[in-house]
Amino acid sequence: MPILILEAILLIALIFVAMGIIIGQELLPGVIIYCAFSFIAMLLYTIIGAADVAFTEAVIGTVSTVYFVIAIKSINRSHKK
Amino acid sequence: MNNFLIILENFLAESGIYVLTFILMALGIFGMIVSGNYMKKLMCMNILQVSIIFFFLTFGQKNGATLPVVLEHLLGAESYINPLPHALMLTAIVVSLGTTGVGLALLMKIKDIYGTIEEDEITGKGGSKNE
Amino acid sequence: MEKHLHRRKQRKKRIIAMIILIIAVAASTFELATFLPTIGELNTPANSYISEYYIENAVEDTHSYNIVTAVLADYRGFDTLFETCVMFLSGITAMMVLSTKDKVSKSIEKKSDDVNIFESDIMDNAFRIIIPIIMIYGIYVLAHGEISLGGGFQAGALLASAYLLDKIIPGFRTVLDRITEEFALVVAGVGSFIYLSTGLLPMFNGGNFLEYGKLPFGSKSIETVGYLHSTGILLIEVGVTICVAGVIIAILEVVLERTSFDE
Repeated sequence: MPILILEAILLIALIFVAMGIIIGQELLPGVIIYCAFSFIAMLLYTIIGAADVAFTEAVIGTVSTVYFVIAIKSINRSHKK
Repeated sequence: MNNFLIILENFLAESGIYVLTFILMALGIFGMIVSGNYMKKLMCMNILQVSIIFFFLTFGQKNGATLPVVLEHLLGAESYINPLPHALMLTAIVVSLGTTGVGLALLMKIKDIYGTIEEDEITGKGGSKNE
Repeated sequence: MEKHLHRRKQRKKRIIAMIILIIAVAASTFELATFLPTIGELNTPANSYISEYYIENAVEDTHSYNIVTAVLADYRGFDTLFETCVMFLSGITAMMVLSTKDKVSKSIEKKSDDVNIFESDIMDNAFRIIIPIIMIYGIYVLAHGEISLGGGFQAGALLASAYLLDKIIPGFRTVLDRITEEFALVVAGVGSFIYLSTGLLPMFNGGNFLEYGKLPFGSKSIETVGYLHSTGILLIEVGVTICVAGVIIAILEVVLERTSFDE
């Protein structure tokens, strides 16, 4: 399959995952979906030919997700919206 | 079937991929405005950043070119993709990590002072507790 | 019960608003996006002027086969210096905001001194085998930044994630536990200082700031100018690695101190 069609499919998947983050009501499932968002973005960067950028996004997406999980545990909210 | 694929590819190369990128950016900004929780605003800021980085990286694509690592049997500037946007976007990704860290530190301080991180309750209290 | 209905109505309103937003953005950018250059063409303005010089002369000037590292550390080294300073500044800011006496003293290790909940074979093997391999991989990526894909940023983040894995697994005491956040910030500052001093060294030898051709190593002949550029790139990448690893460890320590894992 040509590359542009693969890019368009991955972009549409990214749009759906972003909609999932905005609609969600609780925080911890939102962080897990954010980890999936970072992973699909890394695949997109690899297909486009930017391999250095994809490597950096993979490592930094992992560290950023861990920061969010630790912050959620510390804030420890009882109110959900 | 082949004709349809060729027409679709031409449409995508002209304006299709740009339209999808702008939709993602608009979703990121919309999420930052509408969310009632400060941590969700930080996550939507990262969505916005991914869309802008992808937009920059599409300027470097070339038909029939390979990764920007020099091989010995391929010479000339039309067989490697443009390395300049990659170098700029590497810096942008690492700085976004620092921004997320500072944002989370500020969030924990807000939780200390106000007791909550929902936007309605904080603006409803009207000012800080130490008056 | 009222809250459930209120939340459902809000969710529906949000979904409808998002769909209207997507349709509006798509309809208004169809025509505007044709002014942007076609993807994949060879003669766009972004591909024409200076990137041709970079691609054709990178191996000759800097002896580095990875063109992105050559652009980032040699041709545009001044921008990378300020990026390192911004990372260091964000580490200092995060530590200054959260420095009060309000620290929760229970962390993961102290809890598992009393009760060893997580004693299992998986954790044992992960601790003993995976963490040294991640560290060695980080140093490999740093050293091979000029030949294949890699560089300073990726290596620093990999070393920090080895520390992260060690911090999460409870039950063992190692040397890595003695790293406090002040020490990590000092290490990050040393990394930034290494970058700056690699820029200042050519000035004592008659060159400009960050001019690698006049570093005071080796003999002065035309063949070694490429090797001097390569040495300068390696010193810079070491500085960037140490700075990024220090900042990630510092922010992690500061955020982890206020967390209690009682449940």
